[in-house]
Amino acid sequence: MATTSKNMNVFYRQKKKSTTSTGKKSTKSPSPKHAATFGSDITQPPGLVSHGGSLDLKDDFDEQEQVLRQFDMNMAYGPCVGITRLDRWERAQRMGLNPPKEIESLLKGGKVKLESLFDGRV
Amino acid sequence: MEVDSQEQLQRKQSTYLSLDENFEIQKEVYRGQQYSQIYFARLHMMRTLLYSLVPNWKSHLPVCTVLELEEGKECIIVGTLYKHMKLKPCILDEYSKERSVAPLIKPHNFMHQDDYLVLEDESGRVKLGGTKLSPSVYVTGVVVALHGKETSAGAFFVEDVLEAGLPPQIERPLKSREDKYVVFVSGLSIGSSSSNPLQFQLLVDHITGHLGDEEEQGLAAEIVHLVIVGNSVEISHGLLNGQNLASKDQSRLSEPFKELDILLTQIAASLPLDIMPGSSDPANFALPQQPLNRCLFPGSATYNTFRSCTNPHCFELDSIRFLGTSGQNIDDLTKYSEAKDKLDFLERTLRWRHLAPTAPNTLGCYPFTDRDPFLIDSCPDVYFVGNQEKYETRLLKGLEGQLVRLICIPRFCETGVAVVLNMRNLECHALTFGTQISS
Repeated sequence: MATTSKNMNVFYRQKKKSTTSTGKKSTKSPSPKHAATFGSDITQPPGLVSHGGSLDLKDDFDEQEQVLRQFDMNMAYGPCVGITRLDRWERAQRMGLNPPKEIESLLKGGKVKLESLFDGRV
Repeated sequence: MEVDSQEQLQRKQSTYLSLDENFEIQKEVYRGQQYSQIYFARLHMMRTLLYSLVPNWKSHLPVCTVLELEEGKECIIVGTLYKHMKLKPCILDEYSKERSVAPLIKPHNFMHQDDYLVLEDESGRVKLGGTKLSPSVYVTGVVVALHGKETSAGAFFVEDVLEAGLPPQIERPLKSREDKYVVFVSGLSIGSSSSNPLQFQLLVDHITGHLGDEEEQGLAAEIVHLVIVGNSVEISHGLLNGQNLASKDQSRLSEPFKELDILLTQIAASLPLDIMPGSSDPANFALPQQPLNRCLFPGSATYNTFRSCTNPHCFELDSIRFLGTSGQNIDDLTKYSEAKDKLDFLERTLRWRHLAPTAPNTLGCYPFTDRDPFLIDSCPDVYFVGNQEKYETRLLKGLEGQLVRLICIPRFCETGVAVVLNMRNLECHALTFGTQISS
């Protein structure tokens, strides 16, 4: 995409040119629209910055979150929107649906998101 | 003039137990949930129940979910009914370009011959066909089991329906009962132009024993409880249009309550009294309506015989279970379905085991997350609804020996009729107060 380098300076973090370098400019200059790549340290356009100020680049792909997301998506325990995961687990328990105990211990152990997958997004 | 007799008549008493805890929302916390939670709770409870009833109904057929339906395979599915109604008011109609289509005068009943039913569970929904399930009888929110098969068009052809039926009733111990009466009155509408204060004063005087000779006072002494079933006050709409009220108008706002409180104090001094909120009372709009604030009744709330109750209201008197509402649930059924009379609607809600199946679809309801408080799990002995056009009553007999007295209580301001129930044999009669002085 053709952009003048003058405009691009606004988006790039300015780096001091090293004197020993051959003067070759860094060739890779992705436009901000394609900047959503993993590992890129280019400042993101506001659209990708979700609530809390944290960059929404990497999904929380740790195993625990995966397990909890499977619990959220399981239709047998009812809808997950508008109710915390622990409340939903306790409701399922009270209704006799026998939700897995590991979920309860995960949720009570802390360090996991207590709100469902869709919290704040729907 | 006769001298007052030496012996004082004692009013009979009965033990009272309130079962309104299920309808209270003080402990509920709103976390932004939507109504999907209450529908899930309803479907789960009713489905568990229906699954236990299916083997007695048709044990040879497989039970499956909506998504597991196969064409031509006879099976049983359980889900929530949804009625698609052409004339049901939709908020989007206000934005539609063809404004001429919507009628200017809103019909009282939104039924149309093109209405059709859909069955829905968590996995999917399927349109229902066949003549067994009449859309004019059912409403959105009822959970049923259906026997049938999927047609080539993708609809489900219904061959038979299983409703939950009347809930089990707790056996009442047959004590040697004496005649004890409960009086129901609704729609006092104090503050409206049609209410006649003399009529209600006559009722109060009769119940408290200030009318009549000893025999009549003896009859009044057998009244053990009074239930006021909603719409006790009516505040004129001119005062409620959102504009600031002048100070002289502010007193007009509280006058109906002062009048009601004076009358309720006379009653509360004499016998136990329950007052339920109705659609025109200053309580929350959505069901379950919370008890009217005791501050509204400075005089009568000081008595321990005065009880402000929720709507719906459930209580036990001498272990006879009473359950009833101020009319919003039945009025909503009247708008979205049809029946020969209001008692039929009452009977249907009992057979569906749900007080207000149209909540939250067309009837305001609190978004509960973990339960549906309107499910009826124990059959009442007396089931009443207030604010109806006329007094009607029927004794309903269930298949397992349940016996329910269904009562429609008319609006007192229009009819001057209160209803009296004898707890000994569940017989009902009307108590009419007329103030016309015939010339």
